[in-house]
Amino acid sequence: MSSLQSWAALAVLVPLAAALLCVVLPPLRRAGKPAAALCILASLVATAASIYLLTQHEAGAVTRTEVPWIVLGGKALASIGVNVDGVSVVMLLVVCVVALCVQVFSLAYMHDETPSSYGRYFTLHALFLFSMNTLVVAPNLLQLFAGWELVGLTSYLLIGFWFHKPSAARASVKAFWMTKLADMGFVFALLALFVATRGFDWNARLSTETATLVTALLFLAVVGKSAQFPLHVWLPDAMEGPTPVSALLHAATMVAAGVFLIVRADPLFAQAPATCEVMLWVGSITALFAACLALVQSDIKKVLAYSTCSQLGYMVAALGAGSAFAGFFHLGTHAFFKALLFLGAGSVIHAVHSNELADMGGLRRKMPVTTLTFGIGALSLAGVPGLAGFFSKDFVLAQLEGKAGWIPWTMLMATSFLTAFYMGRVLIKAFGGAESAKAHHAHESGGAMLLPLVVLAVPALAAGFLGGVLAEWSGAEYHVHLGLTPVVASCLAIAGLLGAVMVFGRGRAAPFAGVLESLDRASAVDRTWSGLYRHVLLGVSAVAGFVDRYFVDGLINAVGYTTIESGARVRRLQTGRIHDYAMAVVVGALLIALWGVLR
Amino acid sequence: MSHLLAWIVAAPAIAAAVLLVLPASARLPIRVVSLIGAVVACAGSVLVALTYDRVAGGMQMPDDWALVPSLGIHLKLAVDGWGVALLLLTGVIIVTGVLASWGVEKRGKEFFLLLLVLVSGVFGVFVSQDLFVFFLFYEIAVLPMYLLIGIWGASHDVPKRGPFGFAWKRFAVGGKEYAAMKLTLMLLVGSAAILVAMFLLWKEAGGTSFDLAHLEQTKFSLATQNWAFPLLWLGFGTLAGVFPFHTWSPDGHASAPTAVSMLHAGVLMKLGAFGVMRVGMVLCPDAAANWAWLVGGVAVINVLYGALCAASQTDLKYIIAYSSVSHMGIVMLGAATLTTTGWNGAVYQMFAHGIMTGLFFALVGLVYERAHTRAIAKMGGFGHVMPAVACFFTLACLSSLGLPGTAGFVAEFLVFLGAAEGAHSWWAVPAVIGAVVTAVYVLRACKTIFWGPPPTGEFAHLTDARSTEWAAPIVLGAALILFGFWPRFLLDFIDVASHTFLARIAPFS
Repeated sequence: MSSLQSWAALAVLVPLAAALLCVVLPPLRRAGKPAAALCILASLVATAASIYLLTQHEAGAVTRTEVPWIVLGGKALASIGVNVDGVSVVMLLVVCVVALCVQVFSLAYMHDETPSSYGRYFTLHALFLFSMNTLVVAPNLLQLFAGWELVGLTSYLLIGFWFHKPSAARASVKAFWMTKLADMGFVFALLALFVATRGFDWNARLSTETATLVTALLFLAVVGKSAQFPLHVWLPDAMEGPTPVSALLHAATMVAAGVFLIVRADPLFAQAPATCEVMLWVGSITALFAACLALVQSDIKKVLAYSTCSQLGYMVAALGAGSAFAGFFHLGTHAFFKALLFLGAGSVIHAVHSNELADMGGLRRKMPVTTLTFGIGALSLAGVPGLAGFFSKDFVLAQLEGKAGWIPWTMLMATSFLTAFYMGRVLIKAFGGAESAKAHHAHESGGAMLLPLVVLAVPALAAGFLGGVLAEWSGAEYHVHLGLTPVVASCLAIAGLLGAVMVFGRGRAAPFAGVLESLDRASAVDRTWSGLYRHVLLGVSAVAGFVDRYFVDGLINAVGYTTIESGARVRRLQTGRIHDYAMAVVVGALLIALWGVLR
Repeated sequence: MSHLLAWIVAAPAIAAAVLLVLPASARLPIRVVSLIGAVVACAGSVLVALTYDRVAGGMQMPDDWALVPSLGIHLKLAVDGWGVALLLLTGVIIVTGVLASWGVEKRGKEFFLLLLVLVSGVFGVFVSQDLFVFFLFYEIAVLPMYLLIGIWGASHDVPKRGPFGFAWKRFAVGGKEYAAMKLTLMLLVGSAAILVAMFLLWKEAGGTSFDLAHLEQTKFSLATQNWAFPLLWLGFGTLAGVFPFHTWSPDGHASAPTAVSMLHAGVLMKLGAFGVMRVGMVLCPDAAANWAWLVGGVAVINVLYGALCAASQTDLKYIIAYSSVSHMGIVMLGAATLTTTGWNGAVYQMFAHGIMTGLFFALVGLVYERAHTRAIAKMGGFGHVMPAVACFFTLACLSSLGLPGTAGFVAEFLVFLGAAEGAHSWWAVPAVIGAVVTAVYVLRACKTIFWGPPPTGEFAHLTDARSTEWAAPIVLGAALILFGFWPRFLLDFIDVASHTFLARIAPFS
C-alpha cells in the first residue's frame, strides 16, 4: 500500500474508529460533549488526510489497493480496498470539508439536546462519514454498494433522530423503503455484472445488451438515492431530520452519491447509449418538475429540498448527455452552496424557532452574517454570473446544446429561470421586508454556527474557477466560452431574480401558485406510492397471512382432526364385551368358510 | 486435546445429569451448572475452530466407537468446515440462551435439563459421521421441544375461520399444547420419511455400515436416489420450514419460551437444512440435480411467501417466526443452486440467521417479560425507556434485511450470486424482492414498537436490559457485525467443505 492509499484509508477508518469508540463506550456517548469532540477530531483528521491527498495527487494517476474479502476456492470473489484517482480524491475532499463544517455547526445547533442524544447525534455523524468515505474510495462496485447502503442506514437513523415525533419516524422509514426499493436495481446490476464478468469492476467491457441492462439497473438505484422523479417523494419528507443533517446528507453528499455512482461507472454507462437517453430525460423532467414545486413551498427547508431534487436533475441530465465531468463539477459546487444554504436556513430556524417562511421576514438587520452568506449561496444557486453555481450550471447546459432536439436544453433553461425566481422569493420573504413578530426577538447565531457559514461561502463564491484544474485531474475537457448558453443562462438568472423582486417584493403570490399548490398537496406521485404500499403490498400480505393460517395450516389441522375423528369412530369397535368379540369370531369364520367353498 | 468433539457433545448432557441429582430448590446451582455445561461446549467449539486446519480441509479430529457392530453402527465423530461454523453457532446460542432464561422460575430444574439434553443432540448431529447416530442425535434434539413448549410455553387465541374451521372442535388452535403437539407430530412425520430413506440407502450400500463416508463412496442407482432424495428433502425439510410444511414454525416459535425459541429458530431449523445438504444432496447427487428445480422453486416460495405472511402479522413473535420461514428459504435456495457460491451462502445464512434470530427472540422475550403483550399495536415509544433493547433490535432488523456490514448481507448476497450464476437465474429475482419485503415488515415493527412519543401508563416504567439479559444482545449483536465486516473468519471454513461436497454433484448438474 503506497502512502497515498494509506492516507485515503485513514480518511475512512478514523471516523469508523470514533464511531466504534462511542458505540462500545456508552459512558463516553452519554457524556455528550466528549463524544462530539472525538467525532469532530476524527473528521478533522479525515479532512487533513483528504487535503494532503489532494496536494500529493498527480493528475490522471489511478492507484488502488485491494484485500480479498470473500475467497472461494482460493480465488477472491470480492475484495475491499481503496482507489485513489482524480474523482475519488476530489469527492473525498468535498465530503470531508462539508461534513466538518456541518459537525462544527451542529455543536451549537444541537446544544439543547440531552447529553446522551447529543452523543448519539455525533456518533451517527462519524458513522456517516465512514460510510460515505467507504463509498467514495471504493475500488469496485461491491464496496461502493456497501457504502451506498450504509449511508442509507445513517440517513434513516438521522432523519429519525427525533424519534419521539411520529412524523420523523414515518419519514425515516419512508426514506429507507423508497431507497431500498430502488436499491434492488443495484443488487440486480451487481448480479448481472458478476454473471457476465465474474467481478464487480466498472471498467469491464460488456456487450451492448449487458451494458444496457447493468446501467439501467444501476440507474434505477440512482433514481432512488438521488431523489429523481418518480422516486423523489422521500426527500421533502426527509426534512424532518435536524437541519444540519439535511445539509450534509440530503443536500450535499448522500443524495449526490447517485450522481457519483454514474461518474464512477462512466465506462459502463459509455457503453449504453440507451440508458443515457433515459437519464437525459429523467434528469430534465425532475429538474423542471421539482423547481415548480419549490416555488410554492411555505417551509424554507422544503424549498431547499425540492431545489436539491432539481439540481440533482441537472447533474443526471448532464451525465445523460455523456459528460461525466459536467455532472461531477456541478456536484462539487452544489455540495458547497447547498450545504451553505441549509446551514444558513438552520441558523435562521434556530433564531426564529420556525421553519415557515411566513414567520420570517426582515431578518437582514438582526442576522447580517447569516443574510450575507445565505445570499451568496442563493445567488450562486440562482446562477448569477461569476459565482460557483453559474460556471457548473453553464457547463451542464453547454453539454445539452443540440441534444434531443434542444428540448432538455430548453427545459433546463426554464428551470434556471425558476431557480432564480424561487431563491429570490426565499431571500425576500426571509430577509427582506418588514420584521415579523418572531423575527423581532431573533438575534444572530454564535461563532460556532457562523464560522462554517463563512468557510462554505468561500467555495460557493469561487469554486467555479477551479473547473479547469478539476478537469485536468479527472482527465476531462473543460472550456469556458462565450456563446449562446452562458448569455441566455445569465439573462434568465437575472430575470428570475428581478421577477422575484417585482412579484414578491410587492407581497404578491407567485403566478399559478394555486395550481402548483394543489399539485403539491395532491401530489399524485406520493399518493401512488402510498397506495401501492397500503393496498397492493399490505393487501397481498394480508391475503398471504390469511391463506397461511386458514388454508395451508387449516389443511394440516384438518388432517389432525380427521385422524382423531376416525380414531374415535374406529374405537367403537373395541367394546370390551366378550359376546361382541365371540360374534366377530363366528362371523369371520363363516366368511372364511364361505370364501373357501366358493373358490 | 483428544476426544474434543465427544466432550463438546457430552458436556451439556453431563451437566443435565448433574441437574438430575440437584434438588429443585437449589436455584442458583442449577443455573450455574447449566451455564458451565453450555460454556464448556461453546469453548470446545471455539477450540475446534482454532485448531481445524483450513488448508487441509476434510474430516478432522476423528473419534470412533463401535455401538452395534453387527449392523455397522458406530459412534463416529469428526468435523468438517460446515461443522465448525455450526458448532460455533450452537455454542454461542446455548450460552446466551441459558443466560437469557436465568429468570425462568417454573420448574427451573426440568427446564434447564431439557434444554441441555436438546443441545447435546444438536452438537451430536453436526459432528456425527454415521447416519444412524446422526438420526439418533437428530431425534434427541427434536423431542424435548414437545415438553419445553407444552409446559413452559404461552397460549393465545386464534379465531375460528375458514373452510377448515371444524378442526377447532377438537383442539384449541393457538394453545401452547396445540403448538407443541403440532410441532412434534409434523417433525415426527418428517423423521419417518428420513428413516425410510435411510434404510433404503443403507440396504443398497450393502447393509453393512451406516458410515457416511462409506455411503458417500457407494454409487446409488438413480431409482433409489430419486426415491430417497425427496424423502430426505421433505423429512429434513420439515424442520427447515419448507413450504407447505412450515406451519409448525409460527405457532411453535410464538408459543415457546424465550430460550427455546432462540434455540429452535436459531439452531434447530438449521439441522433440517444441514440434513438436506449433508445427507440428501451429498448422498444422492444425481437426484439432487434432478430435483433441484423443485427444491429451488419451493425455496423461492418460502422466501417471498414467508416475507409476505410476516408483513401481515400483528403479533411480534409471529413476525419473527415467519421471518425465519422466509430466511430459511434463502438457505434452501442456496442449496438448490448447486453452485459453490450458493452453498457457501446457504451455510453462511444458517449461521447468520441463527445469530440474528437468536438475537430477535432474546429481545422479544425481554420486551414481553416487561410489557406482557406481544401485540405491536399496543406498543410504542419503547425506545425511550429501553434504548439498548431498541438499538439491538434495530441491528437485528438490519441483518435481517441484508444490510452490508452485517452477517446477513454476506449470506444473502452469496445466495443471490449463486442463484444468478446457476441453472435457474430467475430465482434471484423473487429472492431479492423478498429481501425488500423484509425491509418493510422489520422496519415497520421497529418503528411501531420503539419509536414515537414516550410511553405512558402501564408502559411508562419499563426498564432496559439487566444483568444476565445483556449477554444475548451484546454477544449476538457483536457477532452479527464481526462476521458482517470480515466474513472470512467463517467463510474460509465453510468454503473448504462446500468444494469437497459439491465436487460429487458438479459432474451431474
